[in-house]
Amino acid sequence: MVENNDIELSEAEAEQYDRQIRLWGLESQKRLRASKVLIIGLAGLGAEIAKNVILSGVKSVCLLDNEKLKEIDLYSQFLAPPDKIGENRAEASLTKARALNPMVEVTSETKSVDNLPDKFFQEYDIVCATGLKQEQLERINNACRDSNKKFLCGDVWGMYGYMFADLVDHEYSEEIVQHKAVKRGSDDAEKNARETVSINVKRRAIYVPLQNALSVDWTRPEMRSRLRRGDPSYFVMKILLRFKDEYNRNPDPAKRKEDTKILLRMRDELVKELSLPAGFIVDALLLDVFGTVSGAAAVIGGVIGQEVVKAVSQREPPHNNMFFFNPVKCVGFVELYGQ
Amino acid sequence: MVARVAGVFDEKLTEAIANSKILVVGAGGIGCEILKNLVLTGFPNIEIIDLDTIDVSNLNRQFLFHKEHVGKSKAQVAKDSALGFNPNVNIVAHHDSVISNDYGVSYFKQFQIVMNALDNRVARNHVNRMCLAANVPLIETGTAGYAGQVELIKKGLTQCYECQPKAPQKTFPGCTIRNTPSEPIHCIVWAKHLFNQLFGEEDPDQDVSPDTADPEASGEAGASALSTEGNTAGNVERKSTRAWAAESNYDPEKLFTKLFGDDIRYLLSMENLWKKRRPPTPLVWDNLPGKDNAPAQHSGLPDQRTWSVHECAQVFAASCSALQKDLKSRADGDHLVWDKDEKSSMDFVTACANIRAHIFNIPLKSRFEIKSMAGNIIPAIATANAIVAGLAVLRAQAVLRGDINSCTSVYLRPKVNHRGQLFVPEKTLTPPNPKCYVCAPKPEVGLACNLKQLTLKDLTTAFKEGLNMQAPDATVEGKGLVVLSSEPGETDHNNEKTLEEIGLNDGCALLVDDFLQNYEVRVRLQQEDEEKSWRLVTDTDAPMPAPKEDEKPANGSNGSDPKPGPSTSRTRADSDSDMEIIEEDDDEPTVKPPKRRRTEVSDEIVNLC
Ligand SMILES: [Zn+2]
Repeated sequence: MVENNDIELSEAEAEQYDRQIRLWGLESQKRLRASKVLIIGLAGLGAEIAKNVILSGVKSVCLLDNEKLKEIDLYSQFLAPPDKIGENRAEASLTKARALNPMVEVTSETKSVDNLPDKFFQEYDIVCATGLKQEQLERINNACRDSNKKFLCGDVWGMYGYMFADLVDHEYSEEIVQHKAVKRGSDDAEKNARETVSINVKRRAIYVPLQNALSVDWTRPEMRSRLRRGDPSYFVMKILLRFKDEYNRNPDPAKRKEDTKILLRMRDELVKELSLPAGFIVDALLLDVFGTVSGAAAVIGGVIGQEVVKAVSQREPPHNNMFFFNPVKCVGFVELYGQ
Repeated sequence: MVARVAGVFDEKLTEAIANSKILVVGAGGIGCEILKNLVLTGFPNIEIIDLDTIDVSNLNRQFLFHKEHVGKSKAQVAKDSALGFNPNVNIVAHHDSVISNDYGVSYFKQFQIVMNALDNRVARNHVNRMCLAANVPLIETGTAGYAGQVELIKKGLTQCYECQPKAPQKTFPGCTIRNTPSEPIHCIVWAKHLFNQLFGEEDPDQDVSPDTADPEASGEAGASALSTEGNTAGNVERKSTRAWAAESNYDPEKLFTKLFGDDIRYLLSMENLWKKRRPPTPLVWDNLPGKDNAPAQHSGLPDQRTWSVHECAQVFAASCSALQKDLKSRADGDHLVWDKDEKSSMDFVTACANIRAHIFNIPLKSRFEIKSMAGNIIPAIATANAIVAGLAVLRAQAVLRGDINSCTSVYLRPKVNHRGQLFVPEKTLTPPNPKCYVCAPKPEVGLACNLKQLTLKDLTTAFKEGLNMQAPDATVEGKGLVVLSSEPGETDHNNEKTLEEIGLNDGCALLVDDFLQNYEVRVRLQQEDEEKSWRLVTDTDAPMPAPKEDEKPANGSNGSDPKPGPSTSRTRADSDSDMEIIEEDDDEPTVKPPKRRRTEVSDEIVNLC
């Protein structure tokens, strides 16, 4: 995927990226510098992802959004200033996004994803989609897949959030640290130094597309057993994606009461449909799903930003294939769906 | 109303946020992120404190700062940038140390929550005590590389920051540094000591010459009861290294010949040392390895190329003259302070560490690697900071909503655990340690020392460095006799007297208090003839309970229990498992801290063998 160009880092780059090069190494930094990232959806989560990815020092970031900046965005969207309400969200975010790191080329695109051809998405090494409907996500995922490009998507509703990753056929190296005793010209046991040796192991991970992960057959015995020990966060995502499909919007803070009722009803329907245990999806998980809470956007945006870095630098095992943040328990975990 | 859209939160939380006042301590990587989240969420009153200024190596994560801000106050720039997100928030910025009489208990009491985003243990300990004294919930945060954690501290409900003893700082025996180095870190420590001997603050504990008092050398290894005279007698020469260097006008060749020729030959004469070790090889200035070789082809950062010994000698010469020039340009008695980001200082340590490593058959390291070890750089990335800050603000919301009992510690792991968890919450709050010498109802601690040798001045140091007090006062329990006063001049005349001379004896109890921290502890003196300095004896000295399976993050492949700690954990060179979670690499604060912080910012404590 990302070509590691052999041009050495400039002194300015080495200085600015010093603390992260010391963590993930020079090779990763070079791969980052060669990669092109598309971020779809510039609400709070998109802004968080953009910040993390731009700071990491990729080659370029395109911010894609056809929506206008709304008041509710300001709860979590820090790239677009409050005086730009009514303007396109991607364009309104450009100035601050560029200021984060002048070494990264940041552009905007204001068309709807529905009006963009598949080849538009295929020009990027990795696409991060937020705020879209399931159907739109699956279409872009498949377009990326067709040209062997990586795809991530995610969303934050209130304090809850998720991420999905399809890195197709992903090769990466993993650093394994080992401790070994080293003798230094002496038989004296206490003079033996302990040295950490890190070796890089090449690994490979195969991913499935989003439609597989979202159409899990919950009647299968292994899925039933997962329910017994599992966390209901997957189903919260299902309910919220359905809500978006059905009402063509997210739950609205101004209609907190009415929408909560709808969500609880949709929850009951899903429980029936998939014969889930009663009480499995607790009410509490559906009460704080309004707007985008800044802290949650930072959490999910941090996870997605780190997955972008791992994916394009091909270093360290990326999450396969879904991450959920359950704010009731404050737990964040990875589960594999659809394989 | 700052919370612009109703309905995002339930009414209770909306109202609690609207009436809140939050203090953020630290405007580094996590601090910037916390401030952003608070401002966006609509917290109406925020104060932020940081004494630091912005450095270019901050810019990869401290996103409120840009290149044009380098050198400016972190707190002030963070405030200005954050107001751009929401101009209706009231932010007060303090470019200041949080350890100050300006921020007393009553200052802390005005906040509903204090959020720590610090990079050193001294300040963490201090804010811990202030929050205990003010009875304000403290949310403590830290990251190191990919890992991090968020912990709630509330008086009486949870353990405090000092309830569990922290891993002690890794130290190296003086004779390993001076006589028998076997690892690169030994040579790096030696090189930093040499820097201080030649250009910095001279410290007798940082002698770099051969140590003839090495018990192994005297042939009676094992009978290691060293007398104090042994230490001074152990030095090859009485004249300070600095005076000697000045006499030879810092001539690089002369310095080189003494340090890497004569001193090594002297070490060789201590034959016992080399019975089971490979002996070192003295070097000659004009015949060094690599002299006739062209530099090897190198890809990577220039700093990542390992220099030949010949190149090291050239860098040694160049950096010596640059540093000497710098020293000469200063007022008499002034000295240089080693700084990993100052070119000549870093060049000097790299060159000297590598020359010494070559002499002792230790692998040479690149300037890049030596900078990490000598500067105790903890890698820091934007994403881990964002996650930890996000979790911290969500925890703060839960506290405000009245769900404080649900606010267990959360660990961000570098990799998922076997249950697939990346953020791992503890199941329950950890209750206070009843024997904690900070948060127990009647704090108590033992101080082991030799009362015949420890002076009142040393005792003051013990209170400041060991008990992390800022301005201790001490009286004899039951008698009310003032032993130590924080008022200047009141007890100074006793400074050089031993504790025995001022009438303190074994078993004697002192009531020691720090007015600023509103903290009093009963200190029991314990006579120990063998103790050369002082040592705290706590009931919490039992080893830390083993981490609960899979609730703690692991660093790298070995499970460990990272705790917020000092930025000066030198142990990183040895093993990841000792790495402590801290916020930043931002080593030393720019404002020279008061003397009591010396152990925190100084590099290593060298014990006698
Ligand atoms: Zn305590």
